[in-house]
Amino acid sequence: MLTVEGLNAGYGDSVVVHDVSLQVADGEAVAVIGSNGAGKTTLLRAICGLLPARSGVVTYGDHALLGRPAYGIARLGVAYVPAERRLFPRMSALENLELGAYPARPDEQRLARVFELFPRLADRRRQHAGTMSGGEQQMLAVGRALMARPSLLILDEPTTGLAPILAEEAYTSLKVLRGEGTTVLVAEQQVPLALDLADRAYVIEDGRIQMDGPAAELQDNPDVRRAYLGIV
Amino acid sequence: MAVVLDGIAYGLQLALLAVGLTMIYGLGGVLNLAHGQFAVVTAISAALLMGNGMPTLPAVILGVLAGAVLALVIDGSIMRPVYRLHGENRVLLSLLITIGVAFVIDGLLIYNYPFTALNLGVSGPAINLLGVPMRRGSLAASLLALVALAALIVFLRYTRRGKAVRSIIEDEEGAMLCGINPSRVRTAVFALSGGLAGIAAVAEGMTSSLSATDGLNLTILALIVTVVGGLGSVAGALLAGLLLGIVYSLATFYIGAYVTFIILLVTAMVTILVRPSGLMGRGA
Repeated sequence: MLTVEGLNAGYGDSVVVHDVSLQVADGEAVAVIGSNGAGKTTLLRAICGLLPARSGVVTYGDHALLGRPAYGIARLGVAYVPAERRLFPRMSALENLELGAYPARPDEQRLARVFELFPRLADRRRQHAGTMSGGEQQMLAVGRALMARPSLLILDEPTTGLAPILAEEAYTSLKVLRGEGTTVLVAEQQVPLALDLADRAYVIEDGRIQMDGPAAELQDNPDVRRAYLGIV
Repeated sequence: MAVVLDGIAYGLQLALLAVGLTMIYGLGGVLNLAHGQFAVVTAISAALLMGNGMPTLPAVILGVLAGAVLALVIDGSIMRPVYRLHGENRVLLSLLITIGVAFVIDGLLIYNYPFTALNLGVSGPAINLLGVPMRRGSLAASLLALVALAALIVFLRYTRRGKAVRSIIEDEEGAMLCGINPSRVRTAVFALSGGLAGIAAVAEGMTSSLSATDGLNLTILALIVTVVGGLGSVAGALLAGLLLGIVYSLATFYIGAYVTFIILLVTAMVTILVRPSGLMGRGA
């Protein structure tokens, strides 16, 4: 359903992402793995309309995404959770969630589902997002994205700033979503977590896709093991 | 006590004048130096309509609409290049363009209607409030300001669109990711801010009179309130409006009207020295 072909993107004069092509099929979980500065965030921002791409084609279902504003892409059912979360700090957790459903009226069933997935959010629904802990903010960001009933959930480094145990928890909830058939595209430098979640993965280095394949195969690939899994 | 009540009454008007300015800044990093002129356009339109025999209420409503429509036109035309810039450049260009707009509006109105003034002259015997006799005009103006501010707060806190406005002030990129179109919301709020300035003009017309030359003064007052409250903070504008209203009233009573403007400016300077981002500003 999401197809990226020959995408080039960058900031100012510097091109960060070179000729990247990737696909995410319906119901699939795909990881983009690579080290810090490999171009993962730039790639995702270009797909989501937050950064104008130089060239390439991005289609989602029947829609061409490049050139569309970010809010238009969000309304097509593509929910993006950036690494910095981009929550509304002086608004309550509940208000943050409600805005996730915009322009629709927030749906009670959906809200109940989000609270079921992240019970801590239910306890803290009146609390300002800015005063929540890193783990709670991560849950809130994912919960806000889910409020729109997205058909594709894109996450950029959901483990940013989280202690190891919370990072694992974040991936546990993503697995639950996976189990329900949500299509997921996730960029991650904590490679073991991402490969554990994903069906397939792309390895990105210096803005270029170096390798791709089923997650299980990449897990066993000696180059990947050496570079990202810390196994010599 | 009487002085403080007077101050609160005036403070509500100041807050009403400033909320529009602070919202536009919060939403788009645009500082609108033609804000007072929106109020003046309302005042002159209403005064002209009344001069042609229209009853007060419809004339005033049309006047407020004129302020809102003018804001809409300016946002849709001459402000477009401003929104293409970002950060400091946007603030600077917005200052230049809006001060230009202010001069043009001032020039046209002062040249064409030098003797027109909005004077709603709400008169009648004083009314006792907490044992203090209050002028009817002052009470009516406070009531109008209070209703308008309450309506604004209800809109921002409890409606979906109002929450969308706040979300853009909080984090524009986050708002876009939720499917909110910031530029459409900004345009709507620009019109709203013109209308609120218009209502402030009507309130002013109830206590004194407002003429074509008052635009700059109103803009400066709104700026002082906005800066003291914290640029972009609606709650800050309310608090600062009340505070400065009381300061204004006390200064007029104990020292004299001729220095009140200076005292307001000094209050603003002291606030900025102590809390650089204002009473309720970000990072305060």
